Amino acid sequence: MAFKQTRLRVPHGIGPTKENRRIRSCSSSRRRRGRRGRKRMESQLNFNIENSFDSCYSYCARQALDELPHSFTITDPSISGHPIVFASKGFLKVFGYTKDEVVGKNGRVFQGPKTDRKSVMEIREAIREERSMQINLLNYRKDGTPFWMLFHLSPVFSKQDGRVIHFVGVQVPISPPRRPRWLASGVVRNGANMCEEVDRVCGNTNIMFGSCRREVCSDTPVELSRVLALESVLDDSSRERHSLPGAGILSSSLNISLGRIKQSFVLTDPHLPDMPIVYASDAFLRLTGYARNEVLGHNCRFLSGADTDFSTLYQIKESIQTEQACTVRILNYRKDKSSFWNYLHMSPVRNASGKVAYFVGVQIEEGCKNQDRNGLCPEMRHCSVVGAVKVAVRSLSMGAGPSRS
Amino acid sequence: MVTVKQVEDDNLVSKGAIPEQLKCPRFCFRDIRIPLYRFSSQSLLDDSPFEGHVCIPEDEQSALDSLLLAQWEDKMWKGVLRYDVTTSEIKVIFGRRKFIAQLNERLGMDYVPKPEPDKICGQGNLSEFQWTKHQEEFLFYVASGEMAIPELIPSAAMPDGAVLIIINEIPVEYGHVFLVPCGPDSLAQVLDTKSLEMVARFAVEINNCSFRLFYDCPTAGTSHRYFEACYFPSPLPVELTPVDTFFHERRRGMRISAVTDFPIKTLLFESNKKFKRMVEVLVEICCQLQEKSIPYNLLISDCGKKIFLFLQMQNMANSGTLSAWECGGYFLFQSRSEFDQATEETMLNKLRDVSLDDEGFQVVKELCCSIADKFAA
Repeated sequence: MAFKQTRLRVPHGIGPTKENRRIRSCSSSRRRRGRRGRKRMESQLNFNIENSFDSCYSYCARQALDELPHSFTITDPSISGHPIVFASKGFLKVFGYTKDEVVGKNGRVFQGPKTDRKSVMEIREAIREERSMQINLLNYRKDGTPFWMLFHLSPVFSKQDGRVIHFVGVQVPISPPRRPRWLASGVVRNGANMCEEVDRVCGNTNIMFGSCRREVCSDTPVELSRVLALESVLDDSSRERHSLPGAGILSSSLNISLGRIKQSFVLTDPHLPDMPIVYASDAFLRLTGYARNEVLGHNCRFLSGADTDFSTLYQIKESIQTEQACTVRILNYRKDKSSFWNYLHMSPVRNASGKVAYFVGVQIEEGCKNQDRNGLCPEMRHCSVVGAVKVAVRSLSMGAGPSRS
Repeated sequence: MVTVKQVEDDNLVSKGAIPEQLKCPRFCFRDIRIPLYRFSSQSLLDDSPFEGHVCIPEDEQSALDSLLLAQWEDKMWKGVLRYDVTTSEIKVIFGRRKFIAQLNERLGMDYVPKPEPDKICGQGNLSEFQWTKHQEEFLFYVASGEMAIPELIPSAAMPDGAVLIIINEIPVEYGHVFLVPCGPDSLAQVLDTKSLEMVARFAVEINNCSFRLFYDCPTAGTSHRYFEACYFPSPLPVELTPVDTFFHERRRGMRISAVTDFPIKTLLFESNKKFKRMVEVLVEICCQLQEKSIPYNLLISDCGKKIFLFLQMQNMANSGTLSAWECGGYFLFQSRSEFDQATEETMLNKLRDVSLDDEGFQVVKELCCSIADKFAA
């Protein structure tokens, strides 16, 4: 097994030292915290979902949206599972669900056996590329009845840093289209007004209209444009997408892919000054006791403390500089100042250009009964996280046309 | 300086324990103990709608996905692979179809002809050296199971009807593995229902949209049947192309479509229910294609929900066929100049040149309908 040799710092085996006591009590209390920890994890997720809307928009925005009768949802790609964080009254009425049954779920729960897989893939691609799109889609109500709808998806960009903070999905029921998978580009004949309205609120010239007027209910285009106007309620002037997202901002699709990995890990960007954390998994936040906004943008050194071994830190630094993977055991500290032994694995992660885009650090807390649902040993768990991250990052910055060197 | 003690964990392939049987020319590699993943007892034979595995939530990495990625990354770190495929640049070729190109200079350097599984499986005459060389490439077995949920056994000998997962040391993309069905008829040249079912099940359980499975029809010289799989970073061009359904079995939900406007003739098989029937139909079609000397490739994508069948020109010599990922629109280039000068037009021509012609395609479509009807009756 080709592990690098590490200098193992072991607490004194003799007698209960202050450090020993701290570590031991930490381990046993964390075991007890198991069930409570899971409940806390759920409530943290619920908090994130509830907070997602309110932290970005004013109270008046929520009121205004509540008054609109049409069917639409707002989803948050930065929360694991890309869940719905807001569902309009019209949506609940059309689908037959209550608010609590919908908020927190991903849009796929409304799909069913006859939903066209290719359409689902196209929606997924649009999310990945952070662009608007429109498509005919078959969805299912709560009572299981299927119905066709014209689905319009649009990203909402933050004014401050240009990243995608939400996606808005609008659902307009239509009569069954004769050719369900037909996606034509072109202008809805209802007229220039509609296009202008859509262009104005979405600021995006890439809109594809999924059906011709004949197949859509007569007042649907008007209805659609009115609903799209809701985007102006959210943020009127932030339609300008910066050509490159701000430093350290991850695309929403990468966020979604990384959200599937349930272990503790962080992604750091070596191209930014001081190599800050650009992604932290929920499990990492639970392990260290920090909130997401306290770790994003900071270098990992805040995890080190008084008794952290310098030579281990140096080893990590050297591996980063030589773009190599390494595995170490390092003493880290949580927000509440308690310490734990971190079985850490770091690895460079490359994007489509073949060059290193990020480093991934996977943390396993030693000494505790680490429950791994998949039955893998710690070294394998390190590797499974690294592999999943590598697959997710591999498609980033995939340019078109002549290659950049 | 204290060294890290390597705990002999059953999850890791144990080295150095070469079984006695290796010394004799005819050996059985059943004694190699590696992890075994057993599917749950819920099989694809059910009438229930095939919407993906009910136990695995889509917003979480599945156990099989974790296992495969973990083993692959581990082998990469141990130096089993010839090169790090993530250092190969990839790009989308400018054009409507979004063909994907990869610059892989290492592929040419120490290229070894492909059918490695020939040397590994079955009762061939393998020297001890070849055997120990290949042992580290074995990742794990996959087999059907009896429990309600999938099981991972850290170390086991090969069970009956298992599929052996072997790492490909010259990968095309991250996670490139061979899936080798090992059974009594594993030396048969022809695709069979059980193998296709097992690998399709594998794709379903991986539950990762980046994961694709491939099968190239056997050419002269390969003595063993195997599949390949890897993780592709983005959709393959064929997956984005519209289709035209010409066979739709309402009650049983099997649907056969022709991929329209794609340079190589391609059929798409999908089924909501009675997946096993679709597999049987597909296998029968492939047998007939083989009899007619029509080379074909399979691509399983979208977590097992879609199976593409690529049809190449009738070729008595059975040489110079494309691999399944090339048919799908993913091309490898060995030199920087070729990579930089690749255009959509050259890729289109490459595919058109090997494609079955319109007349042949019509015959195959009719063949599909008649076989599907026969099974439906």
